[in-house]
Amino acid sequence: MNERLVLAVPSKGRLMEQTSELLAAAGLQLRKTGHERGYRGEIDGLDGVDVTFISASEIAAHLKTGRAHLGVTGEDLVREHMADADDRVTLVKKLGFGHADVVVAVPLGWIDVRNMADLDRIAQPFRRTHGRWYRVATKYLNTTRRFFAAMGVTDYRLVESLGATEGTPAAGTADLIVDITSTGETLRANGLKILDDGVILKSEANLVVSNTAGWTPCTERTRDEILARLGV
Amino acid sequence: MAAETAKKFEALERQAQTLMGVFVAAGHEAVAPSMIQPADVFLDVVGETLRARTYVFTDHNGDELCLRPDLTVPTCRLHLERHPEGNVAAKYCYNGPAFRFQPQGAASTHPREFRQAGIEAFAAGDRETADAETVATIIKAMKAAGLGAFKLRIGDLGLFSALLTASQMPERWRTLLTHQFWRPDAFRAELKRLVSSQAEALQGIPAELVRSLDPAEPDDAENTVGRYLERRGIELVGARSVSEITASLLDIVADGRGVPLPRQTADVIETYLQVRAPADAATARIEDLLRGKGVDITPALDTFDRRLALLADAGVDLAHTEFSAEFGRSLEYYTGFVFEIAVPGLGPTSPVAGGGRYDSLMHAAGAQKDVAAVGAAIHTERLLAAIEGANR
Repeated sequence: MNERLVLAVPSKGRLMEQTSELLAAAGLQLRKTGHERGYRGEIDGLDGVDVTFISASEIAAHLKTGRAHLGVTGEDLVREHMADADDRVTLVKKLGFGHADVVVAVPLGWIDVRNMADLDRIAQPFRRTHGRWYRVATKYLNTTRRFFAAMGVTDYRLVESLGATEGTPAAGTADLIVDITSTGETLRANGLKILDDGVILKSEANLVVSNTAGWTPCTERTRDEILARLGV
Repeated sequence: MAAETAKKFEALERQAQTLMGVFVAAGHEAVAPSMIQPADVFLDVVGETLRARTYVFTDHNGDELCLRPDLTVPTCRLHLERHPEGNVAAKYCYNGPAFRFQPQGAASTHPREFRQAGIEAFAAGDRETADAETVATIIKAMKAAGLGAFKLRIGDLGLFSALLTASQMPERWRTLLTHQFWRPDAFRAELKRLVSSQAEALQGIPAELVRSLDPAEPDDAENTVGRYLERRGIELVGARSVSEITASLLDIVADGRGVPLPRQTADVIETYLQVRAPADAATARIEDLLRGKGVDITPALDTFDRRLALLADAGVDLAHTEFSAEFGRSLEYYTGFVFEIAVPGLGPTSPVAGGGRYDSLMHAAGAQKDVAAVGAAIHTERLLAAIEGANR
């Protein structure tokens, strides 16, 4: 039986709490099935839904492949996981929480680097002095590559960073970063500033429908019910 | 494997034997560089743009490796293993698969696995002779494999460098324009910026620095910038030093105070880049364009003419060869002569062969200095398709 709709919900942190609150306010109360610390659940009073609690990043991956029909995750993660996001998924509703900007940030002391064009301008001198391209630390590899290409910056190396990215310039493992920020305070505390045209994406949590999931009349009815209750 | 049937694979192999036979007869040693390559060299040479099209992976030791996106860099590395300075004359040929991620999805004209047969000549005594020989050998091999009609297109990045050198402008602008050459849109924007008022250049730079920095006094400038950072409690993180930041600020200040690039110089550069002509008429066209503009690139044009004469001697029909000043803008490692061979049927975005001169690649791959290098590769599946299409 493939008739059940899979709804992917963040498994931890503020994002999980705010998602649960939002769904509950719409009359969609999440309930874990089985073990309290398990990762499966249902919606009270709405049949035909399997809730799966996974990380926001995995939710994007599940929506991409169609393992989940519906999910709540950040637009930043959707765009990072899919070059062809607009074909594979539909962002049906901005949820008003999980705000974060994906930005390009360089050391505060780089007063000669105001924007992406300046960043490009210093690429060759940097290489001449240091014998390597400058390194950009990020977990947003695809997003960074696309944005830098669009802005005409090509001479750099990406370094994957899975945490504490803002500390990598001070630690010497990178020269600049692409990361999320909500107020910019953490960046400043780490001696970094956002470039004038360095805001890549203003992201927030979204309700996302997978276009690649196996939709049936039954799962479509369930989807429409959920969307209607959420006022989409 | 792009050859999905044994029959197709055999046809490709037969064709490759013919191609390799011609290469070996022309004095190229057959080599088979590794398919798996260290990612570092590729990424440093080709930048993140080709990285996005390269299959990069991490092995169990955490080393970053890649499936070779072409055979030129692997052949350079093989040469450097034999001769660490790369400056020993050698000619190589190869036939084997290369791998590229296709962002628009793999298609028959743009497969993610394809086979290249090609040649490279390193540290040859005379550049133009080596350029002409490369074209002649590639054409000879493709004809031996059965290719009929084709169209040769050539370019010469040496002419563009000469034009910049001969134009009146600060060296930093030449560096900038050379760097932007590979990105036509950015190049146009840069030219436009250079001819317009330079006051904009200073926007966003602290006013006190703009006032106190003097491009004629770089040592003082470094102290000024150092004190500025200190007063504001800005601690410099990362590898870039105050002296690097100062040098870059001085460029900005010099731009802001200096006179813009004369409109006429920008026009000459833009008009030059639009030149397209039969190869045997190109020199005259370029000379016409530069006459009375105070820009003299005679030595570069002489080199261009000498190469054309050598190509004609090798049997290339110059009247039916197209020269395009802009050609060569797509692959950053070319430094001089470039060429491409297209066939009717397959279209201009699917050339069957191409190559050129890349004198700085060996340096980027580990040699102490630049080494003369020219090479070319045949996209063998496309060649087979072109020949089969023509025979049908």
